[in-house]
Amino acid sequence: MNLLDAHLVPAVDGVAYGLLLFVVAAGLSLAFGTAGVLNLSHGMLYAIGAYTGAELSDGTWGGLAVGLAAGTAAAAAAGAGLSAATVPLARRGHLAQALLTFGLALIGGNLLIEFFGADELPVRVPEALDSSVTLLGHRYPAYRLCFILMAVLLAAFGTWVLTRTRVGAAVRASADDPQMLATTGHSPRAVHTGVLAAAGALAGAAGVLGAPIIGPGAGTADTVLMLSLVVVVLGGLRSLWMTFFAAIAVGEVQTLGVSLAPDWAPYLLFAAMAAVLILRSQFTEPATAGHGGGDAGSDPVEWLRRRLSASFKERGRGRGTAEADGAVRSSGRGGPLSRLPRGGPDDSTLASRGRQAAPLLILLVVLIALPALLDAYSLSLAGSALALGLLAVSVTILTGYAGLPTLGQTAPFAVGAYATANLADAGWTVGPVQIVVAAIAAALFSVVTGPAVIRARGTTVLMITLAIGELASAAINQMKSVTGGADGLVGFPPTQALWGGEGMIEEDQVYNYALVVAVVAVVATIAVLRSPAGKLLTGSRNAEARMRASGHPVGRYLFMAHIGAGALAGIGGSLMVTVQQYLSPADVGFEIAAFALLAAVIGGSTSVIGGLLGAGLIVFTRDWVASSWPGHGPLLLGALFVAAVYLLPRGLAGLRLGTGARGPAKGAELPPGHDSVPAGKVAP
Amino acid sequence: MTAVPDVPDAPRVLDLKNLTRRYGSLTAVDDVSLQLAAGARHAVIGPNGAGKTTLLNLIAGTDRPDHGTIALGGADITRTATAKRSRLGIARSFQQPSVIGELSVLDNIVLAGWRHHPLRRGAWRRPSRYRQHEESAARHLEAVGLAGSARRPAADLSHGQRRMLDLAAALAGDPRLLLLDEPAAGLTDGDIGRLLSILGGLPESVAIILVEHHVEVVAELAETVTVLAAGKVLITGPTAEALAHPEVRDAYHATSGASRDAVEARG
Repeated sequence: MNLLDAHLVPAVDGVAYGLLLFVVAAGLSLAFGTAGVLNLSHGMLYAIGAYTGAELSDGTWGGLAVGLAAGTAAAAAAGAGLSAATVPLARRGHLAQALLTFGLALIGGNLLIEFFGADELPVRVPEALDSSVTLLGHRYPAYRLCFILMAVLLAAFGTWVLTRTRVGAAVRASADDPQMLATTGHSPRAVHTGVLAAAGALAGAAGVLGAPIIGPGAGTADTVLMLSLVVVVLGGLRSLWMTFFAAIAVGEVQTLGVSLAPDWAPYLLFAAMAAVLILRSQFTEPATAGHGGGDAGSDPVEWLRRRLSASFKERGRGRGTAEADGAVRSSGRGGPLSRLPRGGPDDSTLASRGRQAAPLLILLVVLIALPALLDAYSLSLAGSALALGLLAVSVTILTGYAGLPTLGQTAPFAVGAYATANLADAGWTVGPVQIVVAAIAAALFSVVTGPAVIRARGTTVLMITLAIGELASAAINQMKSVTGGADGLVGFPPTQALWGGEGMIEEDQVYNYALVVAVVAVVATIAVLRSPAGKLLTGSRNAEARMRASGHPVGRYLFMAHIGAGALAGIGGSLMVTVQQYLSPADVGFEIAAFALLAAVIGGSTSVIGGLLGAGLIVFTRDWVASSWPGHGPLLLGALFVAAVYLLPRGLAGLRLGTGARGPAKGAELPPGHDSVPAGKVAP
Repeated sequence: MTAVPDVPDAPRVLDLKNLTRRYGSLTAVDDVSLQLAAGARHAVIGPNGAGKTTLLNLIAGTDRPDHGTIALGGADITRTATAKRSRLGIARSFQQPSVIGELSVLDNIVLAGWRHHPLRRGAWRRPSRYRQHEESAARHLEAVGLAGSARRPAADLSHGQRRMLDLAAALAGDPRLLLLDEPAAGLTDGDIGRLLSILGGLPESVAIILVEHHVEVVAELAETVTVLAAGKVLITGPTAEALAHPEVRDAYHATSGASRDAVEARG
């Protein structure tokens, strides 16, 4: 009884919080489940409602009603606008749409702050509700009880519309088969617009009513988006009831959890999300069947047994191999290969190699010349761009080559960064040592997270990696002894380029060091991707079912790629620490993850050099351009995001290749091979 | 139920026992048992939705049965992963030809044969080994008549060429059991002729399960036939006998008439 007594208020708060999340998440789920748009600007729609409500509320019932109507309408209009914006991308699949909405969210968030200011707006509730009632001997705000009631009504109304009306039937039909719907005289376009508008209305209404709970402020959109993503992931897409229970659970974790176990609450949410995603491998995006046979190595004992038996067989086969070797050799000259026609675009003649390497060489020359061209501040920014560039290349490997679009590469990036900072603090200032330790630490981290990432495909990966990134952020804030918490780390000794050298203090020294490390890392990456190993990854992404049917352990390849990409991100993190000489959680936060994905997208998802250029462009936009127009960094980046998604389906590298002899390669759009025939599709 | 009643002592390459696969309330494959001897040429026919492709998916490992067992050469593989089954000697073609569009035709076959090549170790980082892989891949391409397109990106191929590439990818692993999912669908008569000669020229030890709608392809290739209807085995027996079964004749009357016309037109 005591326990209940002490925690009654947070528990009831949790219900209110959960219902709020349920209404928001229902909109997100509606948009994703039936219109196929993973709306990363859904939090912004909530913020639109919340700001409108806060502006119009004046402490009267009328003010609340006007605010509710205006906020809902504004968010619904924004949702409809979103529908119009995604139409040109309909053929490009879920990822392109998700990226577009992310860019729009950046822009919208910036505009909202522009109009309403960066501070949280005060919200006035009707006076009749601005009091408290007594609940089992506790005083409790009346508004929250009233909100619980209103949210239940809203949820019931939404459910009724979806399941009992013609409109709802059309919506559900459009999720299953838009073409069949079209033959019955409904326009799928109209349904698409209607669904996104309704999703926006839900978010807007929740924003107005929920403003006293999650108020309108600079971080509102992000918080709401993250939490409702968690709800959608936990609840799945098929059942409103599951979404409801997930929402209540998340609400309780955020309130009761925080009051019961403040240290663990932040982990709990995202750990639960990751766990659910891993366990429920059938959670896939709509209209895309699950990837077949995703059970490679699911049983470690079985795996070990197979490994051992395979290696024994290998030994026994030694002689046979030698013979076959000889046989192949003897037929080498004049064999069938020499009878094949030469030439063609794929041929690796010297000339075509030179053409492929040319942009890289030009970039290298420019980068080497930079110290002579730039002032010290800009040069250190260029150094950061190199570090971010390695992160972007790492994202490119995963997104473009392995087909796993990631928002979580900042996690290994952070591991490398904090490892380096702590090493330096402990007196290990030799650069190569820092780099190697950072790479190993990040690779080990990726070994742990890999199984969660490689089993999913498409936008689900985006959600899982988002959870991993958030989990890492939560850990960084908690483990203050290692990470310095929110204050970050500063004051560790500078890195030495080599053993016995002096610590590097001058910007050009640091830059040159960063350049050498980055060049070595990038050249090694390109060498691996150009080798047959790169073809294995391309095959796994392009035709996973074929690769599996030909005996390739696709999961293992993706795992290796994930580890390699993690190590590369770790090196990037190490470089960033060396260049900046300080480290704060913001350097490895969600924003950086989004930038890295943007860089990979701008750069063309299968181009290493494109990723580097994209990173450079982003740092240029964020730090040079935005410094002359302060406070508009997100706006510029959002615009860059949107422009990249619309104009550069294959990124900067696409521009370069578009003029070349290759012509448009089919299926190389973003994400390559993702929305083509789903691998392992089951046809009963 | 035995597809090869005449040779009971022949070594069995495949042994399906009571396979059942349900999707919700739909039973796609219902208690199907089948035994194939090494080198058997077996066709599975039936109307759309009869469970033919599901049966192939169960054998290939992309789908798992709810009941029943699958044994390959006497060893149980019911729970074995797809990739491992491939290495044990099961190869397949896909209903929708599955090619790696971004890579060259030759690379497609190199990747398909990679895990079965005696020199697979280290090929991912040793160009000389990769070169040897290319030699054997080129031989497989010649066999399906794609040698002239070896250096082109696979995305450029026509539908018929993609089918041939898919078939070559299946053959690149030198399988002992070859699963073909409607290999003749969408092919021209000329391509079908080539397909028949390729499949006819396979080593006698290779067992084939052919899912096909073209009756003349079935009649030409298969020694034995299983007819599926609504997931159940309607009849299993020698090709002529199975095709002469009244229910099969009814189901295929229109189709076989049309294809007979096609054969006559060709001949």
